[in-house]
Amino acid sequence: MKIRFSTLGLLLLPLALFSGCKKDSDSLEPTGSVNFTVRNVAGSQDLVLNNTVATTATGETFTTETFEYYLSNIKLIKSDGSTYAAPDTYFLVDQAKPSSLSFTVPGVPAGDYTGVSFIVGVDAQKTGLTDPATFTGDLNQANNMYWTWNSGHIFLKLQGTITSTTPNKPLTCHIGGYTDPNNAIVTATPSFSGAKLTVQANHTPQLHLVANVTKVFDGPKPVALSTFTGAHMPSAQSVQLAQNYAAGMFSVEKITTE
Amino acid sequence: MRRACSASRKSLPNKLTTVAAPRRTPWRGWLAGILLLGTLGAAGSAAVAHLRRPNAAFVAPANFPALVYDVAKNQPYEATFELGRQLFYDPRLSSDGTISCGSCHQQSRAFTDGQALALGVAGRRSARNTPALQNLGWHRSFMADGGVRGLELQALAPLTSPQEMNEPLADALAKLNADPEYRRRFAAIYGPGKIDTPQFLKALAQFTSALVSADSRYDKHVRHEPGGTLTAPEQRGLALFQQKCSGCHATDLFTDESFRNNGLDRTFPVDSGRAHISQLPADAGRFRVPSLRNVARTAPYMHDGRFATLPEVLAHYDHGVRPSRTLDPLLRQPDGRLGLPLTAQEQQELLAFLNTLTDNSLLTNPRFAPPPAAARNQLPLAGVGR
Repeated sequence: MKIRFSTLGLLLLPLALFSGCKKDSDSLEPTGSVNFTVRNVAGSQDLVLNNTVATTATGETFTTETFEYYLSNIKLIKSDGSTYAAPDTYFLVDQAKPSSLSFTVPGVPAGDYTGVSFIVGVDAQKTGLTDPATFTGDLNQANNMYWTWNSGHIFLKLQGTITSTTPNKPLTCHIGGYTDPNNAIVTATPSFSGAKLTVQANHTPQLHLVANVTKVFDGPKPVALSTFTGAHMPSAQSVQLAQNYAAGMFSVEKITTE
Repeated sequence: MRRACSASRKSLPNKLTTVAAPRRTPWRGWLAGILLLGTLGAAGSAAVAHLRRPNAAFVAPANFPALVYDVAKNQPYEATFELGRQLFYDPRLSSDGTISCGSCHQQSRAFTDGQALALGVAGRRSARNTPALQNLGWHRSFMADGGVRGLELQALAPLTSPQEMNEPLADALAKLNADPEYRRRFAAIYGPGKIDTPQFLKALAQFTSALVSADSRYDKHVRHEPGGTLTAPEQRGLALFQQKCSGCHATDLFTDESFRNNGLDRTFPVDSGRAHISQLPADAGRFRVPSLRNVARTAPYMHDGRFATLPEVLAHYDHGVRPSRTLDPLLRQPDGRLGLPLTAQEQQELLAFLNTLTDNSLLTNPRFAPPPAAARNQLPLAGVGR
């Protein structure tokens, strides 16, 4: 009897293992990638560094030498309100580096998504770390988007010249800060306007974002360039500018599928 | 990189972990181990540089609080320490090749420079006095305003400050990567590939974190060790210190690491101290309480170096304290008088005590001195990573 049961067990073992495996692979959702592109603009014009004259809502003007910002903690939202938070997503968008104007988020569960959100900047937990080995990729401090005298990443850097004042004056916005009362971490949720982003295993949809540089100043808390003295550190001024760009800088231009 | 590093650690010989240490002072075992390694290294044995330092590294001196720095994420190795030392003393890391960390942080002055305000590239003056470098592994924050939150991040501040070394991090890394000797030394520790930010900062931190001061006559006194005898005036100074000064200069680190306004000024138009970081009015004029270890060697004093001598400092606390909204409460006496009343004799006794905090084991240890020019060529090609 004993022998028989053992034999039976041995015969059944591979079957059990096989069905176990099959069950596991069945439970794995198929995933795909989403490709993001960013087009920086000044109002209706494509942003050309050291060239484009940007005009704010009140008619003040500036030109741009540097325009860089982090997009992180990317979440995709389904129509039922459920979200997929893509892990470890930190992307530095730099208008001077064309390769930085598109990036891919892999491992997104297949399905139809109706919205997106992301932090413009870096979350407090990450930027507050003190081990430089944790700042991999775009977060590397050598990218010059980090305050060495006040530990933390610069979330958005806009440098240029205010041209609507006489004389012209330098424009410097270094926005950051992750502790109260000057926490400048903001989340943008540009609308899909009813469109769907369909993720499948075998093709990669593209989400085309537009970022309007004038919205750093135009927004719920407008800033007048005539009296603007710059933002260089975590401060109330930084928070004000962050609230502006969170509200209106990003929009979804279109969603395409290759 | 991290994987390669941890894999290599397993194969390392570990002979020196058994260095005996007296029970009362476990940190001495660590120090002895370092000295032993240093001696053997100087003898030119390539094998020795592969060895880990004793695992007892950074066991707190018996009279210290617990270590803050996470040594486990920057495991001490002799080769890495020596690389950090080389970086610390290399002026090429400044924008014009004239200023190294060691330019302002001079060993004989407890790693200060004797200047009121630090002197950077092209004769530029920093806004602040160079702080002493000692016991950095016990710091929770760095800089007089606490703006930097970790030891490994700290070096970035003077490196990139336009008034100090004026070198963007990317440029410093490019210089290191263009130097075959540095590439060889980094690769020996971290494996092949470009020298990157964490490698650079961690190597430097192995040197700066090793600058431990815990062997002054005062230390020997509190640990009941030979050589720890204090004279009667010194003992009276110690008692006075505990009564009047230890509210801020607390523990045997001689700082509670808080930010306080010690009454230097009524207003703070030039340097608001902690408020520069926090943007809080309540922090205006508050600066980090500095350690008083080796204080006899770190003149001039205060965040802006305004006092040339220790008697001037004591005179300030006796009768120079100025009122402001953020003046530290400990400097307001119950009768409304400002400061800490100190008789001439009390000031003499305090001075006598402060002199017992001088620690030659930090100030004269050849391991912390600029590396001999020849040392670069003596280093073995293979290091702990092989």
